[in-house]
Amino acid sequence: MKRTTSFWTWIVFIIGMIYFFLPLIAVFEFSLRAKRGVYSFEAYRVAFMDPEFYRSFGLSLFWALLTILVSLVLIVPTAYWVHLRMRRWRPVVEFFTLMPFVVPAVVLVFGMSRLYARFSLMVELPILLIAGYVVLSFPYIYRAVDTGLRAIDVRTLTEAAQSMGAGWGTILFQVIFPNLRVAILSGVFLTFAIVMGEFTFASLLSFDAFGPYMEEIGAMRAYTPQALAVVSFLITWLCIGLINRIARGAPGQGQIAGAR
Amino acid sequence: MAFLEINNVSKQFGKETVAVEDFNLQIEKGELVSFLGPSGCGKTTTLRMVAGFELPSNGHIAINGKDVTNVPPNQRDVGMVFQAYALFPNMTVASNIGFGMKIAKKPAEQIKQRVDEMLKLIHMDDYGDRYPYQLSGGQQQRVALARALALSPQVLLLDEPLSALDAKIRVSLRSEIRAIQRTLGITTIYVTHDQEEALSISDRVVVMYQGRMEQVGSPFEIYNFPTTEFVAQFVGTLNSVSGEVLDPAAHIIKVEGQPLQTAQDLSQMRTGDKVMVAIRPERLSFTSEGIKPNLINCKVENITFLGSIVRIQVLIGGIKLYMDTFNNPFLELPKLGEETQITCSREAVLVMTMEHQVL
Repeated sequence: MKRTTSFWTWIVFIIGMIYFFLPLIAVFEFSLRAKRGVYSFEAYRVAFMDPEFYRSFGLSLFWALLTILVSLVLIVPTAYWVHLRMRRWRPVVEFFTLMPFVVPAVVLVFGMSRLYARFSLMVELPILLIAGYVVLSFPYIYRAVDTGLRAIDVRTLTEAAQSMGAGWGTILFQVIFPNLRVAILSGVFLTFAIVMGEFTFASLLSFDAFGPYMEEIGAMRAYTPQALAVVSFLITWLCIGLINRIARGAPGQGQIAGAR
Repeated sequence: MAFLEINNVSKQFGKETVAVEDFNLQIEKGELVSFLGPSGCGKTTTLRMVAGFELPSNGHIAINGKDVTNVPPNQRDVGMVFQAYALFPNMTVASNIGFGMKIAKKPAEQIKQRVDEMLKLIHMDDYGDRYPYQLSGGQQQRVALARALALSPQVLLLDEPLSALDAKIRVSLRSEIRAIQRTLGITTIYVTHDQEEALSISDRVVVMYQGRMEQVGSPFEIYNFPTTEFVAQFVGTLNSVSGEVLDPAAHIIKVEGQPLQTAQDLSQMRTGDKVMVAIRPERLSFTSEGIKPNLINCKVENITFLGSIVRIQVLIGGIKLYMDTFNNPFLELPKLGEETQITCSREAVLVMTMEHQVL
């Protein structure tokens, strides 16, 4: 019985891996065919030689960092307060944070443009773009932080710190945030990966981000976009790898000593 | 004036839920008072009001002569130990203990010295560099206690600190807590639903029920002289049966047709008045006819071995009574179904009105 289960587990696992990795391998293999008859990294060389690549990548990187900063300032204290004092409101907040999954990015961007177009600064500067990215990051950062907050006893830790004379700033920065490190970083890396490849917002608001650059290259060249797709995947995997690495090193991952 | 005063304190959640009603208590410096009661009786809410985590709907709380009713928890100078330990997972044991002093901006040298003192006090000298997840539950709670004491607070509050621990550790740790409390002479409130814990550790016990104080007294008074049926029932095991007054002048009542004499004054009662009669199982014993004033004919229904105690269940007419006797290897027990007689002293028979008040 056990042997049969193990056999089918392996079959399902192998099918899953093929489903996931085969297209990636195909993309990678295709990206190596830029030179006729031989495998080479020519497509990667072309991509990395293009100054537009660095410009769009640099801009997206900067906007991703800004998005992360705004999202953290907005979402982490909100999630903390909802857990501490407004538990009944948790489903409502969860609903709002899930909106980007329901409302397509194109609807969001047109809605925001119509509403804020009269403020020229918001359109000229990437304020609307960052605001849109922040909305897109809601589900990822809120979910991650919410999971982190559920894993610790927020109320008791807060009260314990208060009883020792701590004010709100100390409680947040010395007690709560350090215990949410892994959760916050998970949200941060997911947001980073999403913003780096985002197309709709940047394209419709006419910003030269990495997403529209990849789209443009895809329309003009055959092999370079595949090389960029592989690079994008590597960035995402690097982020996931970092999350795992940090999570493993964090203290407090389950009790290891003695009985309760 | 008492060191900690809780005067006419009430707490209402929403429009209808009254968690605590008209709570009055004066606690002297160095005293350990337990709040004892079932879940939802208001004991933790009262403690949280003393800590400052809840604001009373009415009444005042004063510590050392200063009204702290509206003082935020971080300015009350009160140490608290929680049921769930609440150690900061990102900090070592030493950092946890020194946290309050760091907040108070004490010099590093002083913090280190105090942390070492506290670690010694809880017999965990070598554990300063460990993280909470590397400790057992009992060790974590000792660290939580040290952390609460490190700032030398005026009042120590313990909210069911031993509930999450296993039975053996609970017993040893409660003795440790009491010893430390006595050594430091710190005024302490201890919340528990475990009557044995409350009786063993406290100078005084406040028994609470449905948001109200049922009785305040020493453990001896609470156990031996309960003033309400709830206290009698909640603290220890109790046989509680209905009866009626037979001869008020002679202090005699009747249970299932059998007369029982009590030491209580029944002069306010009349023959035929319905009453509740309570007798502790350990106050009943087997006897030979004619030796004691209260002889009760009964039939042995069940015998349960509880280690140091043997609990015998007997039937008197249609009602069941429990009788406890100390176990010894030479104990002669009756057989199941055997007709026998049990007895108790007059003082053991507690008579209450049908409104559950002790006469």
